[in-house]
Amino acid sequence: MILLLSLVLAFSAIAILPTFSEAQSASKTFVTHSGAIIQTSGEVIDPLYTASTVEFDPMVYLRDFNYGQVSQLPDGTTVREFTIVAEDDKIMEVSPGIFYNVWTFNGTVPGPTIRATEGDIVRVKFINNGEKEHTMHFHGIHPAGMDGVFEPVGGNGGQFVYEFEAGPVGVHPYHCHVMPLEEHIVHGLYGVFIVDPKEKRPSADEMVMVLNGLDTDFDTENNFYAANTIPFYYQHHPIQIKTNELIRVYVVNMVEFDPINNLHLHGNLYHYYPTGTDTVPSFYTDMITLSQTERGIMEFKYDYPGKYLFHAHKVEFSEKGWVGIFMVNENQDKGSEGYGT
Amino acid sequence: MELSNKSSKGKMIVSGVIPFVFLVILIAYIFGPGSDLLDLGTPLPEITLEKVDFIDSEIQITVRNTGPIPVEVAMADINDRIQPAAVEPDRFLERYETTLVRIPFEWNEAEPYRVGITIEDGTRFEKEIEAAAPALEPTVDLVVFFAIIGTYVGIVPVMIGLLWLPFIKKISKQKYHFFLALTAGLLLFLGIDSVEEALEVSKENLAGSFNGALLVATVLVASFLGLYYAGEKLVNRAKSSGITKPVAIALMISIGIGLHNFGEGLAIGAAVGLGSIAFSTFLIVGFALHNTTEGIAIASPMSREKKVIRKLAVMGIIAGVPVIFGAWIGGFVYSPFTSVVFLSIGAGAIFQVVITILKWVREEGDKNLSSAAVSSGFVVGMVVMYLTSILV
Repeated sequence: MILLLSLVLAFSAIAILPTFSEAQSASKTFVTHSGAIIQTSGEVIDPLYTASTVEFDPMVYLRDFNYGQVSQLPDGTTVREFTIVAEDDKIMEVSPGIFYNVWTFNGTVPGPTIRATEGDIVRVKFINNGEKEHTMHFHGIHPAGMDGVFEPVGGNGGQFVYEFEAGPVGVHPYHCHVMPLEEHIVHGLYGVFIVDPKEKRPSADEMVMVLNGLDTDFDTENNFYAANTIPFYYQHHPIQIKTNELIRVYVVNMVEFDPINNLHLHGNLYHYYPTGTDTVPSFYTDMITLSQTERGIMEFKYDYPGKYLFHAHKVEFSEKGWVGIFMVNENQDKGSEGYGT
Repeated sequence: MELSNKSSKGKMIVSGVIPFVFLVILIAYIFGPGSDLLDLGTPLPEITLEKVDFIDSEIQITVRNTGPIPVEVAMADINDRIQPAAVEPDRFLERYETTLVRIPFEWNEAEPYRVGITIEDGTRFEKEIEAAAPALEPTVDLVVFFAIIGTYVGIVPVMIGLLWLPFIKKISKQKYHFFLALTAGLLLFLGIDSVEEALEVSKENLAGSFNGALLVATVLVASFLGLYYAGEKLVNRAKSSGITKPVAIALMISIGIGLHNFGEGLAIGAAVGLGSIAFSTFLIVGFALHNTTEGIAIASPMSREKKVIRKLAVMGIIAGVPVIFGAWIGGFVYSPFTSVVFLSIGAGAIFQVVITILKWVREEGDKNLSSAAVSSGFVVGMVVMYLTSILV
C-alpha cells in the first residue's frame, strides 16, 4: 500500500512539474491585427519597429535619390560618378528580434538609388569588400563588357569601373550577377537605377519602392515581404503626402521564389507607365501585377485626406509585411476643397 | 591497529576520489574558459512546439528550447501569416526552458491550423494541428465525465474478467497452467504495446534532445527492477504477513496492470482533449473489451485460494482506477514527456509481472515451461490480445 501511495505521489509530481513556469510581472498591452487590445504579463512580440530602433530607415530610403558626383566632358556631356561598395558579412535586424545576414551595396538593402538623365555618362566605381565575388549588372542599354556578368570582381577589395551612357529613359533595377544568382539577389544585392528624360517629368512628390522578400531560413520560400525591406514599416509609419499633389512612385519588384507580386492602391487609381520608358501611361488602374524585376512608374493624386492602404493583393505577402499606409494630409498651399475631417 | 585501519580507510577514499579529480580536470580542459579545442562547427538552435491550446479568441503555444544554445522567440504566425503575440514570462529561453506564446486569433472549430514560431536567426519552427478544438477546462462536469469513462473502461471490465474465477477454479492443473500462461501472454502483449506507444509518443511529440528511445529504455528498466525488488520482498514476506504467494503475485499483477491502464487513461483523455471524438469512442470501446482479459490475468493466480472475493475486488480497483487518473491527466495537463515516462513505467511493471508469473509456473509445473499447456496458453494470450487490439 505504501508502495502504491508513493507511486501515486511520484506520478502526480511528474505530471504537475512541467506546468510550473508561470511568473507574474507588470502587465503590458498590444493591439492585434483586427484591433483587439490584449493584456499580457510577459513580453509583446510584434513586427513593429519604432523609428529609433530600425537599423535601416525605409522612410529615408523612400525619397533618397543619388545623383552622383557631377562633372562635364569637354563636349558638355554630364558625367555622374558613383562609388558603390559591396559587402556580404553584415548581420542586420530585419524585423524586431530577427537577425539576417544581408549582402549590401553601400551598406543597405536595397542599395542606393542611382539617378541620371538620359545621355549622361554614368561611371560607377565598384569596390568589392565582400568575401565572395560580386558584380553590378544594370538593366538597360550598355556595351557587353559593362554588363557585370562575365567580369566577376574578386572579394576583399577587388575593383571594377562600370561606364556607360544612361539609357533608355525609365526605372531599372541593378543587381549582382554572380552565380548562384538567386543567392546573391535574395541576400540583398540590388537597387534602383532611374533614367530621367531630358525633358523633365512634371514635378511631383517622388518616391522609390523596391518590393522585396527575405528568406531568413533558407528554404527557398520568403519569410517576409516588404516595400523597402522592413516588413510592416510603412503601416506603422505611414508615408505622409498631401491632397492634390502629384505622387510619383518608382516601383521595382525584386521578389524571388514567388512568380508574381503586385501593388494595389486604396481609395484611388494610378496611371501606370510600364518600365517608365514611355511618357504616356498604359493603364489607369489600382492593381498591377509584376513578375521578377518587372517595374514601372505609378502616378496619382489624392482628392480626399485620410489614411489609405497600399499593399500586395496577393494577401499572403501583405500579411507577411508588404503593406503600408499613405497618410494624406490637407494641402494648405493650394487651398483644397477639404473633404472629410 | 585502529590507527592503521583509519589510514587505510582514508587511502580507500582518496583512491576513489582521485579519478574524479582527473575527470574534472579533463572536462575543464576541454570545455573550460580559454579552451578552443572544441570550437568547431556552428551549433544549430532548436525549439519544440510542445503543446497548442485553442482557447477563447486565442491560440496558445507552449514552446521549449530543445537545442544546444539559448534562443529568443521573435515572431509568431498562424498558417504562415505573421501575427502579433505575447510571450509569457519572456522570450529568452535557456536550454530546456519553456515559455507560453499567446496569439490572439479568431480560430474556427474543427479546422486544421499550422502554427509557427520564428526565432532570432530567422529560423521558423512549425506544428500542425489537424482540427482545432477548445482546450478542456477542468470543470466538475468534465472531471466526473472522465471518472465515469474511467470506470467503464477500467474498473467494470476488469471486474467482469474476474468473474471467470469460478470457472478457472474448477479446471485441472494442466488447464490451470494454460490459463496462467495465457495471462503471461496477455501481459507480454500489453508490455510490448506500451513500449510501442511510448516510442511513438516520444518520436512524434518529444524533441530529439530528450533521447526518447533511451528515456523509454531507462525508465522501463528502472521500473522493472524497482518492482522486481519490491515484488520479491512482498512474496518473501507473504508467509509472515498472512498473504499467500499466489495472492502476492496477483497483487503484483494488478499493480502492473494498473500502471498500464494509467497509460490507457492518458490516451483516452488526450484523445478527448484533442477533440478527436470518433477516435476516443473507439478507444473507449476497444480498451473496455481489452481490459476484461486483464481481469482473467488477475484471477488466474488466485484461483487456488479461498475467500478471495474481497481481495479480488481490491485488486480490480487497483488495476482499474488508474484509468480515471490517467484520463484526468491526459485531458487536463497532457505533456508528451509525462506520457512517455508513464507508459515506460507501465511497460516495466508489466514485464516484471510476466517474469514473476513464468517463474511461478515453472516452480509449480515441475520446472517445465515447455509443456503443451504453457506454450499454447502463451500463444493464445497474445493472439486474443492482438484480436481485441484491432478494435482500438
